[in-house]
Amino acid sequence: MTGLALVSSIIISIGSLAWGYAGMGLVVIPRWMIAFGALWLISPWRGWRWVSPVALFLSLLFAIIGLWLSFPIGWMFSGAIFALFAWDMTELRSKMHFLAAREDAKGMERRHLARVSLLALGGLLVASMFILWWRQWTSEWGNFLLGVTLLGLTQIIAWFRK
Amino acid sequence: MSRIALLAALIYLIVLAGLATLNGAMVALALPLVLYLLAGLWRGPEELRLTAERTISAERIAPGETVMVEIKVINHGNSLEQVLLHDPLPAFLKTIEGASSRLVSIPASESISWSYTVRGRRGSHYFDEIQVIAEDRLGLIVKRAALPTRGQLLILPPVSRIRHIAIQPRETRVYSGVIPAHQGGTGIEFFGLREYHAGDSPHHINWRVSARQGEVLFSNEYEQERVADVGIVLDGRRRVNDFSGGRSIFEDSVLAAVAVASSLLAEGNRVGLFIYGKRNKWTSPGYGKYQRERIMQDLALAETGETHNFKTLIVPRRLFPPNSQIILISPLGGGEMELLSKLHARGYQLLVISPDPVSFEARGLGENPSVKLAARIARLQREVLLRDLRHRGVQVVNWDVSKPFEQAVRASLSRPAAFLHAIQRGRGVGRK
Repeated sequence: MTGLALVSSIIISIGSLAWGYAGMGLVVIPRWMIAFGALWLISPWRGWRWVSPVALFLSLLFAIIGLWLSFPIGWMFSGAIFALFAWDMTELRSKMHFLAAREDAKGMERRHLARVSLLALGGLLVASMFILWWRQWTSEWGNFLLGVTLLGLTQIIAWFRK
Repeated sequence: MSRIALLAALIYLIVLAGLATLNGAMVALALPLVLYLLAGLWRGPEELRLTAERTISAERIAPGETVMVEIKVINHGNSLEQVLLHDPLPAFLKTIEGASSRLVSIPASESISWSYTVRGRRGSHYFDEIQVIAEDRLGLIVKRAALPTRGQLLILPPVSRIRHIAIQPRETRVYSGVIPAHQGGTGIEFFGLREYHAGDSPHHINWRVSARQGEVLFSNEYEQERVADVGIVLDGRRRVNDFSGGRSIFEDSVLAAVAVASSLLAEGNRVGLFIYGKRNKWTSPGYGKYQRERIMQDLALAETGETHNFKTLIVPRRLFPPNSQIILISPLGGGEMELLSKLHARGYQLLVISPDPVSFEARGLGENPSVKLAARIARLQREVLLRDLRHRGVQVVNWDVSKPFEQAVRASLSRPAAFLHAIQRGRGVGRK
């Protein structure tokens, strides 16, 4: 569960930033972003603990630069929020190693995921408010929000079914 | 860098950048991070008020046996959301069931218990604390504590029983034992003849010699048997004990030391130990079961180490009196000759028990012509070294560790070497 959330958040974070930068006609930077995203994706399984904080810092830096250059607010916010989500999931994943099989690992994981998902949802709401404020709402952003909401709902339904 | 510090620095950076560029959206980008930070700070761990109790199923075991460790942690304070309880274990202990760490939630005024089973090789460990790392829900605020506990686990080296080790120190102590004392008196072994004294048992009169000498009667004298001072020196130098692939012959040396010490103490001798390894450790000489326990405990902790050459070793006379017996347990090959010559010159009777490192290493390297040739050369060098030692009057036991130690001892030490017997008797008679 944590692994899936971690992979999804890294893909969404890097994808959002790359999509936002590519939409403004930049080609090289999104490629580098994707390359770094690939490194970030394999890092938890390789035990490279340094990658996660560096990735968070770089994602926020690119989001700041993007906002400064007036790139789409939604993608920059999404990149930053899901980088934070992925950073948190990396920590959670390393903690899960200490849990013995007989312990309530699933419950602990679910509670943590639920809390962080709520925070991510709050962040996306803030971003949507700003998008509406600056009249930048696009169908792409709407579809993205719908996709993220569906992903979250699927997760919730899966928990209840178990 | 801690998580909370990283998060605070990032928030600071975003807000500064937003203010510098007068960009509202950029300042707003800090909001998700601030939300995350506040969520973590809300109901973070307060002062840790925990105590721990530990129960160990056995305190003294043999290598390979299992021990169950039960831990109970009681929370006397507020509820703790995420607590990592970690019982640190040394490298020589392996967890075979359960885990020595747990990540748990502990409600206020409640306790949590768990157990795990360990198995290990020779060593000793004090279970003196349980490490606690308490965190908030998001792992931002971390509080650490060490809960004191009591408990010790001693994994003693295995003991192989040896019936008798024939040693011939130049001097013995006054108490009766089984070591020939080179003095006439009551005993079993014939020692010599002397003139009959009033009070001698008629059974001891040597009638044949008396008849041959005429009017004077002669009595048989028997060799007194007493206890002796024995110093065991265990060579724990890494350069002679440790081999490629993490293999070490030191465990065999420890096994030999245990067997020799146990046997000599059982015969009433005064035995001391010196471990020349990671930590130089002296066990002052003593008698009996208490001394055996001290030696076993010290041997349980013995480790190889990067120590200096044997040349620097000083044997204190207070611990190992001159003319007593010294038993060196060493694979040899690291400049011991100088030390042994020095000890011999000081009057010590020397016995070297040498686990054979050549056969040990050759077995680990497999079968191929170059290994065979190298082993043959090394074996020849070793033979020269052992022969040199024997020529200097040192008793040597060359032990191939693939065979039981008892077997090597039975073949070499069940009775005193003939040449030693002759030398010692000559000296004893000479003194008279």
